[in-house]
Amino acid sequence: MTAQALQIDRELERLDGLWEDGLQDTYKSYMDAVGAYEPAERPRLALAAALIESGLRLQGLGGRAAAAAPLLMGDLCLARASRLLADHASQTLQVAFARAIEKMSANAASGEAGGPVRDFLVLALESGR
Amino acid sequence: MIARRLRFKTSSPTQFVDITDKLREEVRKSGLRMGRIHLQSLHTTVGLAVNENEPLLLRDFESLLERLAPSGAGYEHDDFARRFEIALDEPVNGHAHCRQLLLTGFATLLVENGDLVLGRWQSVFAVELDGPRTRELAIQLDGDFEVRSRRSSALAAEVGRRAGGNVHVGTAADKELVELELNRQLLADPDPVAVPMRRLVEAGGKRLRPRLVQLTAHIGPRHDPLRAAALAAAVELLHNATLIHDDYVDESTHRRGRPTVAAAEGPERAIAVGDFYFAKATRLIAEIGNNDVTSTIADALEAICAAQIDDVALRGAYPGDHASYLKVVRGKTAALFAASCASGAQLSEATPDEVEALRRYGDLLGVAFQMADDMVDFSPSSGKPVGLDIRQRVLSLPLIYAAEDKEVGPEVRRLLAGSLGDAEVNRVTELVRSSDALKRVGDEARALVEGALHELETIELDGLRPTLVRLARSAVDRDS
Repeated sequence: MTAQALQIDRELERLDGLWEDGLQDTYKSYMDAVGAYEPAERPRLALAAALIESGLRLQGLGGRAAAAAPLLMGDLCLARASRLLADHASQTLQVAFARAIEKMSANAASGEAGGPVRDFLVLALESGR
Repeated sequence: MIARRLRFKTSSPTQFVDITDKLREEVRKSGLRMGRIHLQSLHTTVGLAVNENEPLLLRDFESLLERLAPSGAGYEHDDFARRFEIALDEPVNGHAHCRQLLLTGFATLLVENGDLVLGRWQSVFAVELDGPRTRELAIQLDGDFEVRSRRSSALAAEVGRRAGGNVHVGTAADKELVELELNRQLLADPDPVAVPMRRLVEAGGKRLRPRLVQLTAHIGPRHDPLRAAALAAAVELLHNATLIHDDYVDESTHRRGRPTVAAAEGPERAIAVGDFYFAKATRLIAEIGNNDVTSTIADALEAICAAQIDDVALRGAYPGDHASYLKVVRGKTAALFAASCASGAQLSEATPDEVEALRRYGDLLGVAFQMADDMVDFSPSSGKPVGLDIRQRVLSLPLIYAAEDKEVGPEVRRLLAGSLGDAEVNRVTELVRSSDALKRVGDEARALVEGALHELETIELDGLRPTLVRLARSAVDRDS
């Protein structure tokens, strides 16, 4: 197992099923978006972004509301991402991610289509450097 | 030099009024860094003393005063037939004047680094000897003052003034600062999210978590009321965000007497509002710029979400057992209480020992608070519908204890295993009340509070201790 895998393994407690169920692919796609960060920071930042995207999808944000179980799993994903960012990201990036979620949820509450979640989060990663 | 008056009301004939917090606040408001605060009683039956605020000791002092100058001992001052020009309402108080002679009417306390210089057990008392009355002390502060350019000081002073000058730890000014900050934040948000959140915030709530943040933000050397209020408001928004999702999950129709966001606006809106304020609160906390605080709150948020999953999973084995109950409650409720206490202390740059002691205090208080909350579900005078937790199959310690009871347990378990209509809920409520479950929960909650208070004994709190003690006891001994 690589150091990178070890790093994020610790962050997947209670989310194992989710990892196999698409989170892994989402994580890989964000690894492409964190190239401008220090190599040691990249896995956790990519995982944070992937957790946010998966969490919002589980909750059904902007679409049909999820049932209780996936909603709570989505909440846990957002909370885990928030903790990862608190422990490993700069204040600028933490704020950028939070603002992205605020924007997406405000759009959802207004019934507006705001565009793909990934666009918001990649933008946050770019502006948070 | 700054001159002020400190007014207060007393409620007993003899009363030791702890004015330490008020003096600390006067020092803080004045910006005095190094110097002195002079106090002078403006009454001949009010003395001053510096001693320990321990209730039994205060009773010893009262007894001592009574022995040295007993009331009704035939004082010449009370022989109105021999006195001239006495007022119609002249009190019989020779004993009070004599007692005041045994105390002092004036005192000077040293101020260093913007705070009173007091030993660990020292509190400052105004001693009422002929109450109850409204009393007044003259205060003068002199020495080296800081240049007051910070916005927070000005705002805190303004809020204090509007709160009637009654500025001390955990009271009107602190509360008003949080309310102002909550309003300010909600004003900036788009209506589709702000309106439902404002409805929830304005419906009340105990605001215990923000209060804990503000109180513990006095512990360290860097107390900044505005930053503390910003953190406190963010914690309250975070708490409310979790409630919005919880209410949807629990299918609750009402909270704080008003329709839940999910019931009023639909589940899609509820999810969006919860997410918005989850993100906004974490942003506000990140913007405060204290990494320890950010991590503390993030850890708590994760614990809350994990416990919520456990809570729902446990409903299959309803009502569960004590160990499962504690695991869920530690996450769902106590984690944010503990984080509120720890983060306030971290914000003020308290020592790691102080932070950890307060974290343990918050954890125990949070569990006790939840137990008290469970008991409210069985109280007809709470103003809330009785049996709501049973109906929604919410984890509840009284139910767990009743289900374990030899007498009522089998019937409780049988009823909870079936569908729960009004008749079943009423019967379960009756059974819980008839068992000793509520007493057991009450005893356990009070024991936890005592454990929480024990944690405070390891750290230097000066004048903050009585407020934290009162808050802990009131969190458990309540009916709503």
